[in-house]
Amino acid sequence: MSTPEPRSHSFDASSILRSTHKHDDPVEPCLKVENLNLFYGKKQALFGINMEMPKKKVTAFIGPSGCGKSTLLRCVNRMNDLVDNVTIEGKILLHDANIYDKSINVAALRRRVGMVFQKPNPFPKSIFENVTYGLRIQGINDKRILEETVETSLRGAALWDEVKDRLNDNALGLSGGQQQRLVIARAIAISPEVLLLDEPASALDPISTLKIEELINELKEKYTIVIVTHNMQQAARVSDYTAFMYMGELIEMGATSQLFTKPTKKQTEDYITGRYG
Amino acid sequence: MSEINNSMTQSSLNTATTTAYEKWRLLKDAIMRRAVVAGGLSVIFAIVVIFFYLLYVVYPLFLSATAESVAQYAIPEENAGKTLFLAIEEQNEIAARFTDKGQVVFFEAKTGKTLLQKTIPLPEGVTISSVAQGSPVGDGAIIYGLSNGQAVVVKQQYKVAFVGDKRVITPSLKYPLGETPLVIDDTGAALEKIAFKVSDGSTTIVAKAADKIRITNFEKEQSLFGDEASLIRTDSILDIPAGNITDILVDKEDRNLFLVSNDGSLSFIDISKKNAPEIKQHLNVVEAGQKITSLSFLNGDLSLMIGDSSGLVSQWSLVKDALNKPAMQRVRAFKVSEKPVIAINTEQRRKGFVTVDAAGGMGIYHSTAERELIKESIGMVAPVAVILSPRANALVFQNNDGKIHFWKVDNEHPEVSVKSMWEKVWYESYPKPAYIWQSSSASNDFEPKYSLTPLVFGTLKAAFYAMLVAIPLSLMGAIYTAYFMSPKMRIYAKPSIEIMGALPTVILGFLAGLWLAPFIEEHLSGLFSLLVVVPIGVVLFALGFQNLPEKFRQKIPEGWEGAILIPVILITGWIAFSISVPLETALFHGSLRDWFKNEFGIGYDQRNALVVGIAMGFAVVPTIFSISEDAIFSVPKHLTVGSLALGATPWQTMIRVVLLTASPGIFSAIMIGFGRAVGETMIVLMATGNTPVMDLSVFQGMRTLAANIAVEMPESEVDSTHYRVLFLAALVLFMFTFVFNTLAEVVRQRLREKYSSL
Repeated sequence: MSTPEPRSHSFDASSILRSTHKHDDPVEPCLKVENLNLFYGKKQALFGINMEMPKKKVTAFIGPSGCGKSTLLRCVNRMNDLVDNVTIEGKILLHDANIYDKSINVAALRRRVGMVFQKPNPFPKSIFENVTYGLRIQGINDKRILEETVETSLRGAALWDEVKDRLNDNALGLSGGQQQRLVIARAIAISPEVLLLDEPASALDPISTLKIEELINELKEKYTIVIVTHNMQQAARVSDYTAFMYMGELIEMGATSQLFTKPTKKQTEDYITGRYG
Repeated sequence: MSEINNSMTQSSLNTATTTAYEKWRLLKDAIMRRAVVAGGLSVIFAIVVIFFYLLYVVYPLFLSATAESVAQYAIPEENAGKTLFLAIEEQNEIAARFTDKGQVVFFEAKTGKTLLQKTIPLPEGVTISSVAQGSPVGDGAIIYGLSNGQAVVVKQQYKVAFVGDKRVITPSLKYPLGETPLVIDDTGAALEKIAFKVSDGSTTIVAKAADKIRITNFEKEQSLFGDEASLIRTDSILDIPAGNITDILVDKEDRNLFLVSNDGSLSFIDISKKNAPEIKQHLNVVEAGQKITSLSFLNGDLSLMIGDSSGLVSQWSLVKDALNKPAMQRVRAFKVSEKPVIAINTEQRRKGFVTVDAAGGMGIYHSTAERELIKESIGMVAPVAVILSPRANALVFQNNDGKIHFWKVDNEHPEVSVKSMWEKVWYESYPKPAYIWQSSSASNDFEPKYSLTPLVFGTLKAAFYAMLVAIPLSLMGAIYTAYFMSPKMRIYAKPSIEIMGALPTVILGFLAGLWLAPFIEEHLSGLFSLLVVVPIGVVLFALGFQNLPEKFRQKIPEGWEGAILIPVILITGWIAFSISVPLETALFHGSLRDWFKNEFGIGYDQRNALVVGIAMGFAVVPTIFSISEDAIFSVPKHLTVGSLALGATPWQTMIRVVLLTASPGIFSAIMIGFGRAVGETMIVLMATGNTPVMDLSVFQGMRTLAANIAVEMPESEVDSTHYRVLFLAALVLFMFTFVFNTLAEVVRQRLREKYSSL
C-alpha cells in the first residue's frame, strides 16, 4: 500500500456491525469505507477509516468538534474535491463501486448520494423551482413529471401541506425549519440512494428539530441515511447505528442502543458521559 | 471585581455621576453622529443646488416675451408730412420719421422731441409715389420712388460718440448713389412700387412704372488708376403683365426677385443675370378668395413671410425640389388672428417677426421655434407704420390717432421651443425637416439649429457601443475571476483590472484619437479577423494543452493555466492584424472600407463609433468588472455547494444559481457602467470627430451631450440662448445619469430585498 502509515490502527467497525446484528435481519451494507486517509495539504485529517453503512438504516457520526466526522461525510459524495489541496487515499464503495475511481462521473455520483447541509440553503427561486432544480439540470422539463415530483418530494419531506398553495413564492420567505425540509425535498426529488445529513437541525429551533427528526424516521424507509450530529440525544433518538470519532479516527461503531449503553472503549464512554467534548 | 462592575453600570445609567472618560466617549459619539449626518446632508444639498442652478439658468429659455408701453406722444413735426416709414437706431434712443413730403425727422424715441429735420432734395413739382426699405433690412437704407420715374436712395446713419461718460448719438443722412435722383423709367412714368438692394459693389432697383417691371442694376467698377469709381448701369424690363403687382422684394444676394399680385399669387424671378431675368415660378400663396395683406423677408432674405386677409402668416422658402431646382415652398404657417394681417416687421438679427392685425393685436413670433412669444392688444385699428428696433427690444408704431407709441420689448430667447429641440424642424434652405445641431456661424443672419436630439442620440450611441464592448468582456472576466480562477491568481488579476480604471480618460481619448483610430482605419479587416482568429487560437491551444503529457502540464503552477493564454492571445492577435492587408487584397479589392462603401453604401469615418466603443469600453470595463466580480464572489458558498451536491456541473451552478443570486450586483454594475459611459467626456471628445450626425452606423462618428458642452461652452456668450441651451444639455445629461443611477438603485434594492435572507 502506497498510503502513509496511519498514526494508529483504527477501530474496525465492520466486524462490530456484523457481530452485533447476528440475531437481527441480515444487514446489507450500502456504503463501505476502506482504509480512508485524508490530508489537508500535509496535515492528516482522517486516519485509516474502515466502516460499513447499512442500507435503509440511519447511521450517526458523533464526536467532538474537529474530530473529522463532517470531513468523512463529505468524502461520501466527494464534496471534499471542492476544497483545495485535499489528498484522499483509500476507497469508498457504493454498492461495490469505488467512488474515487477515475471513471466515476462526480455529478452522477452526487445524484445518487444527496446531501443536506447544516444551514438551510434554498436557492433564491420559487419553492417549485427549488424542488425541481435537480431534475432540470438533468434536462427534465416535462411539466407533468415536474409537478408530480414536487408533490411527492414535498410530501416526503412533510412540507406539502404547508406550502402547497404558494409553490411559486420565493423559497427564502419560508421559516428556517421549512427551508431545511424544502432542502430535504429538493434532495429526495432526484431519488438518491443515500442521504447525507450534515448537522441538519443544529441551526433550527426545538420544534423544527423535532419535525426533522420525525422526518428522518420516515425517510429511512426509502433511503440509506448518514447523519452527522453534535447532539448525542439526537443521535440516540434517530439513528440505528452510531459511530464515535475522535481526532480523525473511528473509535467505535455499533448499534446505537449498544453504543450508548455499553460502550466498549473508554474514550467513547468518557464522551457520552460528558467528560470531554 | 464586582464592585467595579457595579459602579460602571451605575455610572453609565446615571449621567450626573459619569466619569470624564464616559463623558468624552459620549461626546465623541455625538460629534461623529452629527458629522456623518452633516456630511450626508451636504452631499444631497450639493446635488440639489446643482440641479436648481441648472434649472435657474435654463428657465428663461421658456419664458414668454413681455412688451410694455413706455411712452406715447404727438407726432413730431406733424406739418412735415404723413409718415411713410419709421426707423429706430440700435440704442433705442433716436427714432426717425420719413414723410411723404420728403422730410426726415429724427426725434428722441422716448419723448418725441425733434432732434434734426432734413429734407431730401426732390426736383420741383415731383412727389413721392413709393417707398421701400432696402435689403438687407439692417442696413438702414430707404428708397423713394418719385412721380417722374426717378428714384432716390437715402441711408440713415447714427454716429456714436462719448462725451465724458455720456453717449451721444448723432443722426445723419447719406446718399449712397448720389443726391441727384436716378432715372429709372425714362418715359417719366411714376414709380408705383419699388424695391432695392444696396451694397458697396452692386445696387439693384426694381420698380413698377406704367404697368412694367423695370430692373436697374448699378455695378461699381474701380478704375485701375486712382480711386475713381464709375458705375456701370444695366437695364431690363421684365416680360410679365405687371398691372396687378402690389409688392416687390429683392433679396440681399441680388439674385431672387419676388413679385406679389393682388390675386394672391407670387412670382419668383431669377435676376442673377441682370440683363436676362428669368421667371422661374408663379404660384398661389394664399387660399382662394384671400388676399396678401403684408409681406416681408425674414432676416437673411431666405424666407418670405406672407400675411393674408385670413389672419395667417405663412413662411415661404426656396427649397430644392426633386430636380435640384430651387422652388418656393410653404415651410410653416402661424395663425395670427381672425382679421387680416396688416403689417409684418422682421427682426434684424434673429428669425423673429412682429405682426399687427386689423383687430389691433400685436404678436411676436419666432419662425424656427414656431413659437408665439407674445400676443397683446395695442388698441389701434390701422397703424400707419410699425418698426422693431435692430436689437428687437423696442417697438415704435404710429397709430391712426395721431400719436407715436414707444414700447419696450423683452424677448431674450425666442429661438428655443420644445419642438425645435426635440422634433424635426424645417430649416431654411433645407430640403426637408431634419434634426440638426448647429449652434453658431460667422454670419449674422444665420438660423441657429438647436436640436438636442442628435446629441442625445450620439450620447446613447457612444454608450451603446461602449457597452457592447465592455459588458461581455467585463462580465466574462468577472465570472472567470470570481468563480473559476485560483485564489492566488485572483489576487493579482483583480487589482490589475481595477487599476485600469485609474488611467486618466484624457490619455485613453488621446490614444484612441491619435493612435487607435488611424490604426483601425488601416487594419479594419484585422479587427474583424481578430474576433475569429483569437477564439479559434484559444480553443486549439486548450485542446493541445489537454493532450500534453502530464509532466509538461504539471510545470504550470496550479491555477495559473489562465496566464499561459496571454502569449497565445498576443500571438493570435498579431496574426489577425498581420493578415489584414493580404486579406483585404484578396477578398475586398484592396480595402475593406471601400468595399463597405461600394457594396452597402456604408461610409467610413476615421473617428467613429467603433473606435469610441473600444476606447470607452476599455474605460468602463474596470467599473463593471469590479462591481460584478464582487457580486459573483460574494454569492454564499453554501448555495454553490448545494447546487453541486444535487449533481449540477460547475457551469450549471454558475448559470442557474451564481449568476441569478449575483444579478442585483451585476445589474447595478452595468447601470453604473452605462451611467459612466453616458457622462464620459474626454474620450468621446477626442475620438468621435464630434459631428452631430444621426447615423447608427458603427463607422460613423457622433457628438455627445458631454462633448458638446465641453466644445461649445468656452465660445458661447454668457446668458445667450446658446449658453442656456448648453446648460439645458447639461441638465438633460444630469437627468440621464440621475435616472439611470436611480433606476439601478431601485432595482438593486428590490432584488436585494428579495435575496435578503440569504
